[in-house]
Amino acid sequence: MRVFRAFIITGLLLMAVPVAAEVSIDGFLQTLYGGRLDESNPTATEQTASEARLQLRVEDYGDAAEFFGRIDFVYDGADSSDYDWELREGYLKFRLGSRLDFKVGRQILTWGTGDLIFINDEFAKDYRSFFVGRDDQYLKAPQNAIRTEFYSGLGSLSLVWTPRFEPNRLPTGRRLSYFNGQSIVGEGYYFDPTTPAPKFENGEVAMRLSRQVGSYNSSLYFYKGFYKNPMGVVIIDSSMVPIYPKLNVYGASVRGPMAGGIVWVEGGYYDSRQDRDGDDPMMPNSSVTGMIGFERQVASNLTVNGQWQTDKMLDHDTYEKQQTAMNAFVRDETRHMITSRLTKLLNDELLALSLFVFYSPTDEDGYLRASADYKYSDELSLAVGANIFDGTYDATEFGQFQKNDNVYVKFTYGF
Amino acid sequence: MLNSKLILILLLALPMAIATTATGEDAAAIMEKSHLAYYYAADDGISEVTMRITSKRGKERTKEFVMLRLDEEEGGKQKYYTYFRKPSDISRLTFMVHKIPDGNDQRWIYVPSVDLVKPISADDKNSSFVGSHFSYEDVSGRHWSEDKHSLLPDSTIGDRAVFVIESIPVEKYKGFSRKLSYIDKENYLPLREEYYGKKDKLVRVFTAEKVEEIDGVTTMTARSMENLKKGGKTLIEFSSIEYNVGLDASLFTERFLKNPPRKYIK
Repeated sequence: MRVFRAFIITGLLLMAVPVAAEVSIDGFLQTLYGGRLDESNPTATEQTASEARLQLRVEDYGDAAEFFGRIDFVYDGADSSDYDWELREGYLKFRLGSRLDFKVGRQILTWGTGDLIFINDEFAKDYRSFFVGRDDQYLKAPQNAIRTEFYSGLGSLSLVWTPRFEPNRLPTGRRLSYFNGQSIVGEGYYFDPTTPAPKFENGEVAMRLSRQVGSYNSSLYFYKGFYKNPMGVVIIDSSMVPIYPKLNVYGASVRGPMAGGIVWVEGGYYDSRQDRDGDDPMMPNSSVTGMIGFERQVASNLTVNGQWQTDKMLDHDTYEKQQTAMNAFVRDETRHMITSRLTKLLNDELLALSLFVFYSPTDEDGYLRASADYKYSDELSLAVGANIFDGTYDATEFGQFQKNDNVYVKFTYGF
Repeated sequence: MLNSKLILILLLALPMAIATTATGEDAAAIMEKSHLAYYYAADDGISEVTMRITSKRGKERTKEFVMLRLDEEEGGKQKYYTYFRKPSDISRLTFMVHKIPDGNDQRWIYVPSVDLVKPISADDKNSSFVGSHFSYEDVSGRHWSEDKHSLLPDSTIGDRAVFVIESIPVEKYKGFSRKLSYIDKENYLPLREEYYGKKDKLVRVFTAEKVEEIDGVTTMTARSMENLKKGGKTLIEFSSIEYNVGLDASLFTERFLKNPPRKYIK
């Protein structure tokens, strides 16, 4: 009820704003329906989505600063049969002098070069949305942060401080099943992981130093915070509680034109600060990861890309012994993953067909995203799509979602 | 007698022939002048743009955006910045092109809803410009040195006297096999262009729909491109045009791609 009241009040406030000032408002209304394909999925609901969503975007600016708000109101019929709302973005931007830009507030943050592969982008992701057919913008979860960017002739330095740790949003078993360490489970097994205490020392710091060299963009990255997924476990009162272990990431990337397309290379070192020796079975080991990707237009209105990512776990020997002793899944020391995206535009770009495939030969799992998006008019569009998972083992990244295959249909009216 | 008559005719004809050679311009020089008048007007410019795209089935879509242009060298490098206003699904999206006539252009897009900066491969200059019937090259211009030009007999378009120039690509080119340009003799703007494809079939027609005087610059404020092969037509209208506003090169960088310059984009 409190949520509902907040919904009404916020709505009224929003309606009052444009009367008060000349603020521009736009947004969309969207309905999304999706259902699982696998009857054996242990989830609580057969619907992966059944929602109506109103997004309002509000913008205003003066001489010195500007403001932007993006707010979603959702009726969720698949899960809670309840109203919900979220401030997706609410920030102000301003400039100090000619070299310093600030963006302060709730915001979506992205950097790095990969296409749906994130090495140095340690900003929060929302896989609950990503796997059920919501728009691409919902893959990113907002963070309450202060972003500072300093520009000079040498390049730019970005510093993002997120005072309160913002984790990834992962399937909970209600709509999407997942692997809980024992088997693929539905509702009833999920524990909200313990998040780091709200102390200054537990804030997240992400830095990027970027420089354009000719037509190539090169960047160095640093992150100090926590694994965004609950990769660790602590024992409290003799029960296992998932936690987000401490993490530093050091990385670099280069991206630019080559052979009529765009090429990118990115790498990172994941320093698992609570298990630097790799001998704690409750904490993740450090790892090194890298990727290379290439994209180009291969025919008129057909763009194709490919990426190869590899990651190597450090101290794998110790890990293997520990896992074997517990009779648990042992991942390969070096994993490989290849991905490919195909985008075909048809009918004067009114129809967009898209296919994205992840495949890991070492984990023996994969994930396929397919969609067809048709713009019926400037306002109305219709999309259908599918999310298909496969895996040999229950414990791998995509293998754990293998019962979550789903299809969806989505209508959007933009205004 | 016959001979002297012939001599007289020849004598009369000679100055005319000389006059034609003297004022008649070389086809390539006309194309160069036209290119500069059309794509490089003033040193920089800002304009609100409305694009009406009509499909072959008659369905109309509209896109609205702001376009900033900066010439780095006359006839050479240029920078373009585009901020989309409508439709709703691409509003606030920004797009930037660094045009490099003797190399590959560089293009970037910024999607604000995911805070994503992405370079786009710019290999194919013939691909559609934002879903319209204009290609990237139609919008930013094909360098005159890429085609061999010849002057055909003069003609008129409406009440305007025009040069008619035939252009044939020096290297085999999929954009066209032959192009006829009808160029205004006074202001050098292309009033009509006909693009011929395979078997010399007319595939696309460009039309200058409206020409106005803005800040002392003769400007084409409406233009259209019709695709006769696939059907469909796009009309582009420009308004609130300003020239020589003093755009700085620093605006055409990632910083401003992510933070649209509110001084110019209201």
